[in-house]
Amino acid sequence: MTGLPLLRNLLLLAAAALPAPARAQLPNVAVERRLAQELSLRVGDTIRLGTAPDSIRLVATVAAVYEPRPDPAEIARVERHLRMHLPDLAALLGAPDRVDRFGVGLVPGTPVDSAVAALERNAFGFRAYSSSAIAAESSETFLVVSRFHRAIAIITIVASAVFLLCIMLLKVEERRMDAAVMRFVGVRRRTIFGALLLEAALVAAVGCVVGTGLALVAGAATNAYYRNFFDTALTFSLVTPGIVLFSVALSLVLGLLAGAAAAWRLVRTRPLVLWGRG
Amino acid sequence: MIPPPLLARDLRKDYRMNGETVHALRGVSLRVDAGDYVAIAGPSGSGKSTLLQLLGGIDTPTAGVVELLGTRLDALSDRELTHLRLTRVGFIFQRFHLLPVLTARENVELPMAEAGVARGERRERAEQLLAYVGLAHRGAHRATQLSGGEMQRVAIARALANRPTVLLADEPTGELDAATGREILELFRRLNDDGTTLIVVTHDDRLAAEAGRAIHMLDGTIRD
Repeated sequence: MTGLPLLRNLLLLAAAALPAPARAQLPNVAVERRLAQELSLRVGDTIRLGTAPDSIRLVATVAAVYEPRPDPAEIARVERHLRMHLPDLAALLGAPDRVDRFGVGLVPGTPVDSAVAALERNAFGFRAYSSSAIAAESSETFLVVSRFHRAIAIITIVASAVFLLCIMLLKVEERRMDAAVMRFVGVRRRTIFGALLLEAALVAAVGCVVGTGLALVAGAATNAYYRNFFDTALTFSLVTPGIVLFSVALSLVLGLLAGAAAAWRLVRTRPLVLWGRG
Repeated sequence: MIPPPLLARDLRKDYRMNGETVHALRGVSLRVDAGDYVAIAGPSGSGKSTLLQLLGGIDTPTAGVVELLGTRLDALSDRELTHLRLTRVGFIFQRFHLLPVLTARENVELPMAEAGVARGERRERAEQLLAYVGLAHRGAHRATQLSGGEMQRVAIARALANRPTVLLADEPTGELDAATGREILELFRRLNDDGTTLIVVTHDDRLAAEAGRAIHMLDGTIRD
């Protein structure tokens, strides 16, 4: 059997040096990096393994230290893993015919679905899953969280647009006298409207650039902090081109609407009222 | 027969204020011929600014008629009135009211740009006008970088941009010191000598004396 089954609830109590001739015949294990760090293990060290404090009987050699694939589902767990060959695991457990789960690698090009179906038919007592099915199932929580984040982001952008509307209204209030003078000297409403709309578009565009920059910086800071905190290579904050495009488009549209609303309010007011004498 | 640049007949203007009717103008008639320099003087509340607003098509009278070159202003739509103000009337305000984000030359160019004058032509005319008011060297400065007198000169150049039929000024020296105010009066004199029709609302006796014709208002009527 060439698979490297995952051993759970393994009790690993001590590491000790053994004479070289004996070490050559020992089973090999691969130790997860974090576990190796915590126990100061290095390749070539020998360790004793057991499933309970009173049954530490298997002596093995650390043949490799591996970095497990980052998995959000594992992030908060304190479990540590090591991998060993199936016969060694069976010997350790004292139950050669028992195994919880194991992975099967397929020859490239083999149809996954038919392989899963074949395993289901032939391996009595086992359920076979494709890795994509497992990933989809284990990602369900994260998809929900992701949708939740998207909803928060949209609400934030809409709230920002309301804020922009308030800013535009205030700016327009400051321009009442200028607008009145422009109307007095013969500038058309649509020219004033267009100028204010252009200003709103520029404010929104600058906001988009600054906002995207802030998102990238904040994302990088978040990733740096939590990668260090959880000692993982996982990405916690992701600013994709799709997210940027969606946010920029939404912000520009809402910004223009806010500017248009403020400008419309101004140009509909009689010049003398703007002047303060109406 | 060529109609006068400005003709006002029996103008009346009433406002509602705190539930009461205020009679700002009580039947004012006025004729301004081409090349006239008219000063409208009077105490605060006498109705002189209201008269100027009606003459310039900024406001509409409660009764009476204003004609600009024979065109009744009350017959014009808002769009036509706006175009008339752009092309036939030049306004000068007490507080200059230049756009602060624009340079002096851009402020002068603004009415021409709105009127569709080609970029090169309007730039050339803006520079000519700035030279006329003595600010050829200040064209690239923003309005906020100019002194009060300079801002008023730029405002005068802006008012002249589209070669208006008549120039209307509301207290043009009100925000200026005596010396600077005198410079503006000399500029008005020169403008009038060059053929510009001027109507100036003022508290300033010197300005009223400078004008070819002074009209005194009191309580919404012309006294002399």
